[in-house]
Amino acid sequence: MRHRASFLQLALIAVGSAVVLIVVAYAVPWLPYPASREAGRINFVFWYAEWVSIFIFAIVAAPLVYSLWAFRVKENDLSDGPPTHGHTGLEILWTAIPFLLVTSIAIASAIVLAKNGRAGTDPLRITVTGQQFAWTFTYPNGQTYPVLRMPVDRHVKLTLTSKDVLHSFWIPELYQKQDAVPGLPTHLVVSPTRTGVYPVVCVELCGLGHSIMRSQAIVMSQNDYDAWYSGATKAASKPAPGGAAGGLAVFNGNGCGACHTFSAAHSTGKVGPDLDKLKQEAAGAHQPLDAFIRQSIVDPNAYIAPGYQKGVMPPTFAQTIPGPKLDQLVQYLASNAK
Amino acid sequence: MTTPAHEDTHVDHTDVPEHGVYVPPSGWHRWTYPGWLRVIWATPLFGALGLGLVVLLRWAASWDPIWKWSSIATVELTAVPLGFLVGLGGFDYWARYCSGKPTLPEDHSRHGARSWRDYFRINTDHKVIGVQYVVTTMTFFVIGGFLALLFRAELAHPGDQYFNPQTFNALVTDHASLMIFLVIIPAFAGLGNFVIPLMIGAADMAFPRLNALSYWLLPIAGIMLLVGLAIPGGGPSAGWTCYAPLCQHQPLGDVFFNMAVQWAGASSIMTALNFLVTIITMRAPGMTFWRMPLLVWANFTTSMLVVLATPFIAGSQFFVMFDRVMHTNFFEAGNGGYVIGYQHIFWFYSHPAVYIMILPGFGIISEVVAVMSRKPIFGYRLMALSLLAILVLGFSVWAHHMFVAGMAGWLRVPIMVTTLLIAVPTGIKVFSWLATLWEGRIHFTTSMLFAVGFIFCFVIGGLSGIWLGAVPIDIQANQSYYIVAHIHYVLFGGSVFTIFAGIYYWYPKMTGRMYNERLGQLHFWLTFIGFNLTFFPMHYIGLQGMPRRVADYANRFGGINEFISIASFGLGASTLIFLYNMIWSWAHGPAAPNNPWRGLGIEWQVSSPPPIFNFEEVPQVVGSPYEYGVPGARHVIFGAPQPEPVPAD
Repeated sequence: MRHRASFLQLALIAVGSAVVLIVVAYAVPWLPYPASREAGRINFVFWYAEWVSIFIFAIVAAPLVYSLWAFRVKENDLSDGPPTHGHTGLEILWTAIPFLLVTSIAIASAIVLAKNGRAGTDPLRITVTGQQFAWTFTYPNGQTYPVLRMPVDRHVKLTLTSKDVLHSFWIPELYQKQDAVPGLPTHLVVSPTRTGVYPVVCVELCGLGHSIMRSQAIVMSQNDYDAWYSGATKAASKPAPGGAAGGLAVFNGNGCGACHTFSAAHSTGKVGPDLDKLKQEAAGAHQPLDAFIRQSIVDPNAYIAPGYQKGVMPPTFAQTIPGPKLDQLVQYLASNAK
Repeated sequence: MTTPAHEDTHVDHTDVPEHGVYVPPSGWHRWTYPGWLRVIWATPLFGALGLGLVVLLRWAASWDPIWKWSSIATVELTAVPLGFLVGLGGFDYWARYCSGKPTLPEDHSRHGARSWRDYFRINTDHKVIGVQYVVTTMTFFVIGGFLALLFRAELAHPGDQYFNPQTFNALVTDHASLMIFLVIIPAFAGLGNFVIPLMIGAADMAFPRLNALSYWLLPIAGIMLLVGLAIPGGGPSAGWTCYAPLCQHQPLGDVFFNMAVQWAGASSIMTALNFLVTIITMRAPGMTFWRMPLLVWANFTTSMLVVLATPFIAGSQFFVMFDRVMHTNFFEAGNGGYVIGYQHIFWFYSHPAVYIMILPGFGIISEVVAVMSRKPIFGYRLMALSLLAILVLGFSVWAHHMFVAGMAGWLRVPIMVTTLLIAVPTGIKVFSWLATLWEGRIHFTTSMLFAVGFIFCFVIGGLSGIWLGAVPIDIQANQSYYIVAHIHYVLFGGSVFTIFAGIYYWYPKMTGRMYNERLGQLHFWLTFIGFNLTFFPMHYIGLQGMPRRVADYANRFGGINEFISIASFGLGASTLIFLYNMIWSWAHGPAAPNNPWRGLGIEWQVSSPPPIFNFEEVPQVVGSPYEYGVPGARHVIFGAPQPEPVPAD
C-alpha cells in the first residue's frame, strides 16, 4: 500500500512540538536572573539562540515523528520505498537556511562580545588571585580580602592571576567567567546592576579542594561600598600593623579562611582542620604550639590531623609567604588559638 | 592490489590446509613459540630490563633518589607492554625480516577463527580483529559505566558520602578516559574492521599484521588506566583533559594516564593508516569512490582526521612527561613555560577527536536508515561531501574549548564563526536522513530504533553545541554541568547509540546468530528513557551555576542531583539487558540467514559469518549500494568475467 503524506498533519506536529518547547523554555528558569549589564546582553543572545533552536527542532521533529508514525510497515511487508535519490532544490535549501541562521547567531554574539569587553574610562580595578583552594581580591588600596565587594552600576575591571595551577573564576548570576592562568594575567569586565550576595565558584579542576573553592561576590550600593572601602582603607593605613593585626591580613591575603574555620578571623571553611582546635592538635602531634603551626604551614604533609587527607593543602606556602609575614601569621594563630 | 596479503587471497585456497603447514611446537619449544606461554616470561623480562636500566643509570650518575618512581613508572609502562607484545608474537614477522632471516611463508595458520581460542592471540583476520575490538570495547564500556555509577552515588547528595576528593577525581578521570579512548574511538575501529573490507570487496585489510598489533595495544591502554586507579597515592585525577600545570603535580597514578593515552593513540593511528590504505588501494573492481557505502566514506574521512590529529595529543602528553621526568619547562609557568600552550596542542587533537567519535556513527546510521526504510540514501553525494567539509572545518575549531582560557582575544570571533558553520554540514546529514525516512517502508528493528533515537538525541546535542559555539553563551555555560549534558548528548545519545545500532545491525553477520529482538527493543527503550532523564536536567543545573568535576556542590542543587543519580542507575541497569542478549544469543540464538535485513551491501551477499577469506570470487561492483526500490538494481555481482582494473579516482 502507498502512503500519501499529509502536509497538514506535518504542520500540526511542527507547531505542536514548537509549543511544547516554548513552554519548556519559558516555564523553567534556565538561567539565573541577570544581575549585570553583561548578563543582560548575554541573555539576549541566549534567547535568540533559543528561538533558532526551537525553529530547527520543530522542523526536524515534524518529519521525524510523522515518518515514524505514517510510514511504518509490518515485518512481513517486503515492498520497497520510492527510489528517490535526492532533490537539488531541497538540498540547497537545507544548506542555505542553517547557514543564514548560524551566521546571524555569530553576528549577534560578536556584537555582544565586543560590548561586554568595554570597561569605560574609569573602571574600578580589582585583582583576583586564584590559589589552591581560595580566591582573594586585592583592591586599589593594596589590601587583600577573601570576599569580592563591588558597587552597583559601575564598571569593574578584574585582573585575574593564579599562584599555582589553572583556576576559573565564575559568578553565575553575573554570567561572567574567566580562567586564572599562572604567569599570564587575564581580564574580565563586570558591571553589576543588582545589589545582593552572589556565589563565586571555581570551574576549572584545580586539585583535591576544587569543589569547595568558593567565595562570595557582594554587590553593594555606592554609599555602602564607599563606607566599607574608606573604613577598610583607614584600617590599612594605620602604621604598619604588627603582631596579631598584621597576622589577620596575612591570613586573609593567603585565603586560609577558605579551607579553615578560625573564629578570630570569622572564617568557616570546612576543608581543612578547625584552627580553633590548634592547641589540641599540637598536643596530638606532641609539639610546642608555635613550632607545630609553623611546620603545618610550610610542610603541611608532615603531620596530618586525624580524619584528614594528605596532599590536600598546597605545599607552596613556604615559598609564597615571606619570612616576616609567616612569623606574623604564626603568632596570630598561636595567640588566638583556643 | 599489490600488497602481499592481498595477492595471497587471489590464489585458489583449496591447497591451504585447514590448520596451516605449521606443526604447533611441542615440549620446551612451546615456551619460545609466540603465545601466552612466551608472554609469561617475556613480560617480566622486559620489566626487569626497564627497571634495571633506570636504576643503574641513576646509580651511575649518582642521582638521588635512585628509586625515582615517576621515572621508573614511565619506563616500565613502555617496557612491560613491549614485553607482552613480544611474547604474544606481535613483532615476530618483522623481527625476522629486519634481522635478515628468511621470512616464513604465510600459511594463514594465524588467520581466522576456528575456535574461541583464536580470539585470544595475534590473529591477522580482520573479522577476528573486529570482534576482538568490539568485545574489548564493550567490556570497558561496562567498567567505565560502573565507575560513573560510583561517582553518581557520591553526587546524589551534597557533601562527602563515600569517596574522598582524590578518589572522586580519579573516578571521573578514568570514566571519561575509558569511554573516549577505550570505548567510542576503538568501537568504531572494531566495527569498521569487521565490515569495511567486506563492504569494499577486499579479502582483508591492507596490513593484517599491523592490524593485529593495533588491536593488542588497546587492552594494554585500558588495563593501564585501571591499574592507575590502584596506585598508592591515588589514580590519575586531573580529568581526562589532564590540563597542565595541574597534571604535573599529581600522584604517581597520573603517569598511568599519560602513558595509556600514548598506547591508545598509537593503536588509533596504526588502524587509521590501515583503513586509509585499504580503502584507497583495495576496493573491488567497479567500486569507485562514488559507489562506496557511506560508512566507508565516513571511515575514510575519520582515518584522515586520526592520522593528522592524533600526533598532537601524543605530543601534549610527551611534553607533560618530559616536564615531569626530564625537568623540561614546556608548561611550568614559573620557569617560563606556556601554560595555555598545553590546551592549544591538546584541543588541536581533541576537537577533531569529537568528529573521530561521530563520523563513523554517521556512516552506520546512513547504512541502517537506508536499509530499514527501503529507500536510497537521499542526496548521497552531498552526504559524502559533507563528511569532507566536516574534516576540513574540524581542524579550524579547536579553540572553542578555550573561549575563557585566556588565549589571544582576537581568536574568539573567527573560531566562533567556524564552529557555528560546522553545524551546516552536520545539518545536511540530519535532513538527508529525514528525507530518506520520508515515504519509506520503515521497519523498526532494534538497530533502526537506535538510529532514530540517535537522530533525536544528536539534534539536541547539536543545538546545545550551537549555543556553546556562541561565545557569550559559552562564557556562562563553559565548564559547568551544561558541558556534561552536551558532551553526553553527542557522545552517548550520539556515538554510543550509533555503536549500539551498528552492533545490532551487524550482529548476525559477526556471530552467525540472531539476537533476541524483543530484548533488543526493551534495551533501546530503557536506554533512551534513562539517558534523557539522566542528562537533560544537567543543562539546567549547569546554567544555574553548578561546576563540573566537583565532589561536593551547593545545597540548592541537591534534589535535582538525587533525581539524576537515580535515573543514571536505571540507565546503567539497561546495559545488563544488552549484555545478556548479546552473550546468550551468541551461544544459543537461532542461526542467522546471510541477509536478514535484505541489504544490498557486499557484506550481506556472503555467508553469516563470512568465510575466512571473505570471497570465493572477486566481487564486481556494478552500481550504487543504496538502490532500494529501483527495479532490477544490483550493487555487486559475483562470477563476473575477469575484472577490469579499478578506475583511478
